[in-house]
Amino acid sequence: MLVDRRIFAHFDFALLIAALLVPIFGILVLFSAGYSPDSTATIMGLPIRSYPAFKQLVFLGVGIIAMFIGLSLSSLALERWAYGFYAVCVSMLVAVLLFGNVSKGARRWLNFGAFNIQPSEITKIAIILALARYLSRMSLPKKGLDFKHLIIPALMLLIPAFLDAKQPDLGTAIVSAAVGGMMLLFIGIRLRVIVTICLFGAIVAVPAWNHLHDYQRMRILTLFNPEADPMGAGYHLNQSKIAVGSGGFLGKGFLKGTQTQLEFLPEHTTDFVFSVLAEEQGFIGSFLLIALYAALVTLLLRVVTRTRSLFNSLVAFGMASMIFFHTVVNLGMVTGILPVVGITLPMFSYGGSSLISMLFGIGIVLGISMRRFAI
Amino acid sequence: MSRQTSFERAGININLRVQLAFLALAIFFTMVLVRVWYLQIVKGDYFRALSENNRIRVVYVPPERGVIYDRNAEILAKNRPSFNIELVIEDVPDITATLAKLEQILSLESGSLGIKNRYQNKRKPFEARLILRDVSRDMVAKVAARKFELPGVIVGVVPARDYIHGPIAAHVLGYIREITRSQLSSERYSRYLQGEVVGQYGLEDRYEEMLQGIRGLQRVEVNARGTRIGESSFEPERAGNNLFLTLDLDVQRAADQAFENSKGAIVAMHVETGEILALSSSATFDPNIFSSEVSSKVWNDLAYGKDKKLTNRALQGAYPPGSVFKIFMAIAALAEGVVSVKETVFCPGFYRFAGRDYRCHKKSGHGSVDLNAAVAQSCDVYFYLVGQRLGVDRIHTWATQFGLGLPTGLTLGNENAGLVPSSAWKARRFKRKEDQKWYPGETLSVAIGQGAVTSTPIQIARGIAAVVNGGRVLQPWIVKKVVSSDGTVIDEMSKAKVETKVSVDPKILEIVKNTMVSVVADPRGTGHRARLELFPDIKVGGKTGTSQVVSAKYYGQREEFEDHAWFAGFAPADKPEIVVAALVEHGGHGGAAAAPKVKSVMQAYFMKQYQQFGKPMPVSSPVAKPKDEGPVSD
Repeated sequence: MLVDRRIFAHFDFALLIAALLVPIFGILVLFSAGYSPDSTATIMGLPIRSYPAFKQLVFLGVGIIAMFIGLSLSSLALERWAYGFYAVCVSMLVAVLLFGNVSKGARRWLNFGAFNIQPSEITKIAIILALARYLSRMSLPKKGLDFKHLIIPALMLLIPAFLDAKQPDLGTAIVSAAVGGMMLLFIGIRLRVIVTICLFGAIVAVPAWNHLHDYQRMRILTLFNPEADPMGAGYHLNQSKIAVGSGGFLGKGFLKGTQTQLEFLPEHTTDFVFSVLAEEQGFIGSFLLIALYAALVTLLLRVVTRTRSLFNSLVAFGMASMIFFHTVVNLGMVTGILPVVGITLPMFSYGGSSLISMLFGIGIVLGISMRRFAI
Repeated sequence: MSRQTSFERAGININLRVQLAFLALAIFFTMVLVRVWYLQIVKGDYFRALSENNRIRVVYVPPERGVIYDRNAEILAKNRPSFNIELVIEDVPDITATLAKLEQILSLESGSLGIKNRYQNKRKPFEARLILRDVSRDMVAKVAARKFELPGVIVGVVPARDYIHGPIAAHVLGYIREITRSQLSSERYSRYLQGEVVGQYGLEDRYEEMLQGIRGLQRVEVNARGTRIGESSFEPERAGNNLFLTLDLDVQRAADQAFENSKGAIVAMHVETGEILALSSSATFDPNIFSSEVSSKVWNDLAYGKDKKLTNRALQGAYPPGSVFKIFMAIAALAEGVVSVKETVFCPGFYRFAGRDYRCHKKSGHGSVDLNAAVAQSCDVYFYLVGQRLGVDRIHTWATQFGLGLPTGLTLGNENAGLVPSSAWKARRFKRKEDQKWYPGETLSVAIGQGAVTSTPIQIARGIAAVVNGGRVLQPWIVKKVVSSDGTVIDEMSKAKVETKVSVDPKILEIVKNTMVSVVADPRGTGHRARLELFPDIKVGGKTGTSQVVSAKYYGQREEFEDHAWFAGFAPADKPEIVVAALVEHGGHGGAAAAPKVKSVMQAYFMKQYQQFGKPMPVSSPVAKPKDEGPVSD
């Protein structure tokens, strides 16, 4: 296929800019979160004061390449390779459980010599593509999906979600299931199915609760009473709320957040990175970032309506759902309205696998948007 | 060209779905934004304060406790650094293993170490917990040498009290110890903090507010691991005030050392001013033990053991004064005119009263005795007669005038008032009608300092001082000066505080004083052993006492039934400066057990006078042991 001039004319620069602003903004905040003034590390003669920020910058470079790969893939190619890609990802998840590296009590990483990758991140993209292919190819019933239509999609979602939960990585399992669920809702599900699932959910809630790890249960309980155990399960949440709240309107200033710099705030480069921003840049910074995410999700959703292909729409909607769900759950968690489940702030939290996968996914959506008139 | 399904063909209303998605987006992002606004704007100040509270840790700097000096500025109690072994729980991977390792390194009994749980409730993260208090430098070195095997184990430095003379003056100085839970909740200690050390006994307790000082307040910036990053403000601590006592270390030491294994008390007081020169109680203790951990076994022995080591017998021990009481009887008799100085009484060894024989301590009898001989030889029969003539209520009035039966008001506190009985007292004391009546036979017991009458050594000291200083009953005092750390005198006491003046003809006091001189000077006198061999020119006056503990049939069978021995003396006889009262529990005869102790205290006093003023001169060679062993019977 020759490159059409219209392709460039219709390039979604707004989405590209929004997608790049988030990680750039993130790297600035990571510089503060990972700041160690006494560090003597240098790379190519440059002093490195914040190792996470430096690495995230490298990841961003790799991510931009991944984004252009995603952008260059036609939807035909994507559809053709969707199942294969899904199969490779699920195999990697199995491999993680068998040979993965353990860190902080969870087995989440596959070692490839020079670097580690976290297969569960790229699997989220694979699920979106595979589910989009399956749903766009089936003959859709008028009244929406019934039980029999849901068996295969449910398996496609639950197999990787189960493997994620085994690591354990409850956050990713929940995101995978939620994104899949939103895609199914997009297609349409019969009301009786929804009602049944809700009833079933209520019934299995108790055994599921009993099956959770103690720390996971405590995190849910402390949501309702964080002061009950301020040194234990409530510690993360309390320190995060203190960091966010103490930022006030203008914030304490870059590198001046005491919760961050004195390490009262746990996981401040990953799950709680928003608290760093909120502490140092105040409500102004928080508002800007939330607005940026709103813009990003809006731009992704805009692509959903701009393509006439159901597969493309589902992929764009899946990506929008994923960014949206990640953002809302993470912000809800760090501000104390949702339990602490370990979901990162997309493209903002430190993490290469996540950033590169997300940019690859957005690259795919950029490609879909770009080719919307190229028939 | 596409095989792909378009959503028109699929019959999906794409716009409706995307609009619903926008709606969800708007709702959820607004919720998050409102939440952030609530935390940052509405509750911003609250969380700002919490973050400051995280960052800033208030560290209290313990003030230097005031030093206690004797009257010549010799140190009695000062401060020294003390090393505690502490544990930072967050840095310890396995507490049980670390404690076991520590026990092994310090060669302690397995299982002996544990975390003192006193900070359990209020502990901040990474705040150290106490494991071992006041360890030796040797132990500190052992821990330091192997610190890589002991993660989380640190050595903390705190000030500890150093009583440099050990048990000398222990009951006066007292001791300090960590504030107790009940003290913390009391009004007196309302400004104290958990873990602070306060005076628990003696002057340390009585003058706690003076000695303590004001703690410094340091606000330090810490990180989440409790490591200090910087200091944000500092209010310096203020050292406590120093106390200068009226005690003389050398006199005190002589008093303390006079008791070897015996129990009892010695009070040495200035006759004219009421300054306490020595106040000693035995059995005693070393207050230094309280700077390290005191096991409950040691504590129980100190407080409740057979020797009652924590009891200050000089103030709290009320004993029958025995024949020492006869001095006050003699003054009462002369003042009331019931006997004349010349009148003689025949002592056949007993006194018959109401069909019963009241025995004199000398079975063979003293023969004819006048007042002087009766005091010098301590004839009981003479005083039975005097007692009978006076009656108990006049005895009560006169003894009370000399301060017996009344607390002396020494600022050490917790005094036993003793007791001088009267008919009114008996009527008050007993419920049953038949018990309330005073029997004349009881008066006879009181007349020789037995029966219900009890006195403390400090009461006897000031009573005798009043006899020889012209009837001035003084309030004894022990703290001369309170001086702040920068040298400002806060409180100073210089002259005697006269409590009461006994209204009695000075001539009578002079007569009785002279009889006391005979007690020591007369070779037949019961207090002959109180003479100062080192200062033969200094005449001593005094009175022995031997007070019965139980009835005579148990006499001598067991130590517990042996008599209490008393001696109260003053010197120099012509112009008294010092009065010394000694009591030896179950010591036997006053002349044998108590008088030599008074002598050694007086000699220490005059030796000090010689060192300071060049007089009085002691004999050049105080070696010749005097031949005398004067009568010991009483």
